[in-house]
Amino acid sequence: MSLLELDAVDAYYGESHILRDLSMTVEDGEICALLGRNGAGKTTTLRSISGATPPQVRDGTVRFKDEDITGVPAEDVSARGISLVPEERRVFPNLTVAENLHLAEVVGNKSNTWGRSLTFEHKGATTEQVYEDFPRLRERKDQKAGTLSGGEQQMLAIARALKQNTDLMLLDEPYEGLAPKIIEDVEAAVHRLNEEGTTVLLVEQNAAAAIKIADRAYVVDQGSIVFDGTAEELREDEETRERYLGV
Amino acid sequence: MSLLADVLTVLLNGLQQGAIFALLAVGLSIILGTLKFVNFAHGALYVVGTYTGLLVAHEIALTSGKLQSWGFTSLGLDLGFFAALVVVPLFVFVVGLGMERFVARPFYDRPDTDQILVTFGLAIVVQELFRILFGSNSLPFDQPAWAAGPIALPVVGNFSQWRLYVIAITAVLVLVVYALVEYTDFGLVVRAGTRDAEMVRLLGIKITRPYIVVFGIGAALAGVAGVVGGPLNVVNPTVGTDILVPAFLTVVIGGVGSIVGAVIGGVIFGLTTATLVAVAPAWSQIGLYAIAAVILLTRPQGILGNEEVAP
Ligand SMILES: Nc1ncnc2c1ncn2[C@@H]1O[C@H](COP(=O)(O)OP(=O)(O)OP(=O)(O)O)[C@@H](O)[C@H]1O
Ligand SMILES: [Mg+2]
Repeated sequence: MSLLELDAVDAYYGESHILRDLSMTVEDGEICALLGRNGAGKTTTLRSISGATPPQVRDGTVRFKDEDITGVPAEDVSARGISLVPEERRVFPNLTVAENLHLAEVVGNKSNTWGRSLTFEHKGATTEQVYEDFPRLRERKDQKAGTLSGGEQQMLAIARALKQNTDLMLLDEPYEGLAPKIIEDVEAAVHRLNEEGTTVLLVEQNAAAAIKIADRAYVVDQGSIVFDGTAEELREDEETRERYLGV
Repeated sequence: MSLLADVLTVLLNGLQQGAIFALLAVGLSIILGTLKFVNFAHGALYVVGTYTGLLVAHEIALTSGKLQSWGFTSLGLDLGFFAALVVVPLFVFVVGLGMERFVARPFYDRPDTDQILVTFGLAIVVQELFRILFGSNSLPFDQPAWAAGPIALPVVGNFSQWRLYVIAITAVLVLVVYALVEYTDFGLVVRAGTRDAEMVRLLGIKITRPYIVVFGIGAALAGVAGVVGGPLNVVNPTVGTDILVPAFLTVVIGGVGSIVGAVIGGVIFGLTTATLVAVAPAWSQIGLYAIAAVILLTRPQGILGNEEVAP
């Protein structure tokens, strides 16, 4: 059984049909890359998995740990152990860095968990750990997130996700706008997370960077999967890379 | 009386009227800022608070309305004012929870105009319900015995005790709500949700829970405004509609979503009204709108407005 299975998913924004019969799987413990050019449907795929709307998934199923999670509300998908780092960072600009990070713990409060089933297996990192991964955040912990630079906000979004209790981490273009040195920090954090047992689904425009850390890769184009293989196979498949990734 | 005493009296009167505006506006503002819900039934919660408070605190003689024709000549628990101050916020909090669940929630994704229509409709239904039950006649709401009459203040001279209590009760309640929003996890989720509710949900937080509580708190504050404001006025079914427009103006000039803004807005309105009542009574209503217009022309987002629930 795969950890995550998308079976013939059709997703729509209003009447525009974006994901067409998209099927893919993510295996327990791996780092899987989902690649494709602008507008291919990568973000739409991640949103369909995490229960965010729009898009509407009108057909097909999303299964996680062998349970059907199609149409399950975003907060309940998260409670089952899937967390999403969305592409536009989405930190809370009106809260401090420390408060942004603390929100990942508030999830465990009685008032939130009461009457709900939380079925994640992996505990998130501690605040101390994420400050060690990103020392810059510790320096800025009492600063409002809205005053951070773009790169720092990206670090914060990733740090917050690392703190979540998560079995499958969905990362939407985590390297976007980051300096090479910080990209290495993020890579290191993702690696450690993965070694501790969390599965990662990584969306990237930058195919080279993604292939470097991924075990397996999918390429999506116009809402359907057009390549499925190991990172090694994709590296050697020049035709696919040129045709769908432009590299 | 000296000029100083006159000025201070106007100031205290202004603060007291500002307190009622602020109680209404804080609730309205956090509901608008957090849930993006325009609640024209906020005045109805004031009405519910006033009548409930009256019936808990006193026993009143009924002279008109259906209740009287059903044989009730007098009604009320006569438990005193303290009981009303405890019972009313709790009761109106629960009313607020029901209102969120059954009136507001189905309309969150609908345009403002739909929200206004449904809540204004509800406000009228509530008003007419009270009119049918209690009649159109105004009912007297006595001040609690322990706070009735004037107290001699230094410099100011005699001043209504009850008005001072209204200021004090308001200050305490607003501080409590402020602390809730600023220093608790509940408040953290509310402040985060104001900016990006979807991201809060993606973190695994069931945001409908803090939201319904926000609505309940806003409602409870309006209810308290009804209890403490009741004895300063007469009680009749239309008081809710009368205070609705000033309450909304307070929110708008203070800045939507800002608790401190709502208090500042309330105080500005209170002082304006009190000053004009003292020097040019005929202008007191117009003065409110004039001040609001001036503030909004210079700061369209309101004094502390930036669309978030914040200090
Ligand atoms: N909210 C929306 N409403 C309507 N159409 C949308 C919406 N979001 C995305 N789309 C469309 O869906 C298609 C897929 O978009 P998606 O965001 O999934 O692409 P992507 O692969 O993530 O691209 P990028 O690399 O640029 O982030 C695009 O054609 C886009 O225009
Ligand atoms: Mg995208």
